[in-house]
Amino acid sequence: MSKFNAWSILSTAFLFVLGSIVLFPFFLMVVTSFKDSHEIIVTGLNIFPRAPVLRNYFTVFSKTYIARYLLNGVIVVVFTLAGQLLVNIPAAYAFAKRKFPFKKTLFLCILAALVFPRYIASIPNFLLLSKFRLIDTYAALILPSVASPFCIFLMRQYILTIPEVFFEAARIEGCGIPRVILTILVPMIKPAVGSFTIFSIVSHWNDFFWPLIVINSQKMFTPPAGIVFFADAEGASDWGAVMAAALLTVAPLIVLFLANRKQFIASLTSTGLKG
Amino acid sequence: MLKNKVKDNFVSYLLIFPASFFLILFIFSPIMYSIILSLQRYRLGFKNREFIGFKNYATLFNSPDFWDSLKITAVYTIFVVVISILLGLLLSILIFQRKKTGMIWQITFFLPVAATMAAMAIVWRFILDDNFGFLNNLLRFLGFAGMDWLRDTNTALGVVIMINIWANAGYAMVFFIAGLLNIPDELYQAAALDGSNRFQNFRYISWPLLSPSTLFITVIMTVRALTSFDTIKVMTNGGPTKSTQILSLLLYQEAFQFFNIGYASSIAVVYFILVLFLAIAQMKFDSRVYYQ
Repeated sequence: MSKFNAWSILSTAFLFVLGSIVLFPFFLMVVTSFKDSHEIIVTGLNIFPRAPVLRNYFTVFSKTYIARYLLNGVIVVVFTLAGQLLVNIPAAYAFAKRKFPFKKTLFLCILAALVFPRYIASIPNFLLLSKFRLIDTYAALILPSVASPFCIFLMRQYILTIPEVFFEAARIEGCGIPRVILTILVPMIKPAVGSFTIFSIVSHWNDFFWPLIVINSQKMFTPPAGIVFFADAEGASDWGAVMAAALLTVAPLIVLFLANRKQFIASLTSTGLKG
Repeated sequence: MLKNKVKDNFVSYLLIFPASFFLILFIFSPIMYSIILSLQRYRLGFKNREFIGFKNYATLFNSPDFWDSLKITAVYTIFVVVISILLGLLLSILIFQRKKTGMIWQITFFLPVAATMAAMAIVWRFILDDNFGFLNNLLRFLGFAGMDWLRDTNTALGVVIMINIWANAGYAMVFFIAGLLNIPDELYQAAALDGSNRFQNFRYISWPLLSPSTLFITVIMTVRALTSFDTIKVMTNGGPTKSTQILSLLLYQEAFQFFNIGYASSIAVVYFILVLFLAIAQMKFDSRVYYQ
């Protein structure tokens, strides 16, 4: 029994130490965002603000387009997700429940696309978008991600488990395909849609690489690109405001995560292919 | 009857058409086009564009920058993958049986995975800041000298590796927890009857039964590490003196800062082949773990 206690105390202590280290950057970001600049530019160890201020947040909103960045992030995330569901669910349905020539070959192509890292296609995609004068637009941020091999794969796996009878019944009653998809399929695949929604939101809100390439003007930045631009422009002169901006960038997903812990973890680990 | 079948096939193709269209436009044809571009002398803003065969590849394989970058990528990947996995495994073992607090610990260690890495990299830049960063303040408080962590060739790569371990260990952990929860409790109960201790349990039950998960996690983490970009771009931008210039960053700089489209495409193709090997391995393990 005493051995058990020693182990338990030791392992809990270890978790506390490691957990504190893991959480420390988040903690420091929060407290620094409420510090006055003369409390930040010091060489001593003062962690908590002596007099918490909101000034950094005013600075961020007045000095940067942070509201616009956040809005851009929401627009990109929402339209990307809507496009992905609209385009990929019908394909997933066809691959799961219909027979047609070359089905196997085509599905193998999609599985292959699942593993291509995005950097490979980035140069031609950049050239293509420039050719159509779409650089610096929402379209450039959204369109390349609309087709999602992962979405097709995930939905297909889920649709495969739905018994045939549901579709039979609809067919006998003379339901057209669009109605079958909307009224029978979509309600039944809600868990898969939920899982993919989290995955998609996290990937596109956090994406830094693609906005860096296709966006040139400040007003079109998504939050990650915006915060990095702000930090680079500000240098080390206003860390408080930079931390406030970082907090505003990170907060939406953290809140989403804390509200849907289990689903969130399941969704992000349903694939290791997050690029 | 035949007419029906033709109509049926037509409907099927109609259903997959939108997805196929976008897939071909933004994934498949770009990959083909990358190969073509890699055989061309092509720099944005310059007029002469011509096929030069494998000259880009020759330049690439003769470039010390490329070999350095490959070496840095290998070192970075090995350290991030091995340590993240060991740490993830250790955490999962310490956490998975905790009924009441298990979820809190999982949230704690998974938090960096959910956070926007570009923003957190900025926070790390602040922590590691030469003058007013927390780390140097702490070191000075304890009587040591501070360092310019991100601008010193001796420390930059190590720091970047540590931060990516911070970002990835929780990811490995949740896979291991899933693996551990799949192991039937009876095995441990039977072992307990035989007087097996904690380390024997791990050595003879958990570890062998986790091995398919371990393989799978290793591949996933390797692909993640090989394709990482955000933290390094934000924290060091490949510097100082290219000491943290991993392959994705080399590709980015050649393509989108110097607009050396042809040359950068040859990097992309080499990169692609590298990741493809791993991807094939991943699919193999993927099917082994989940569809056995």
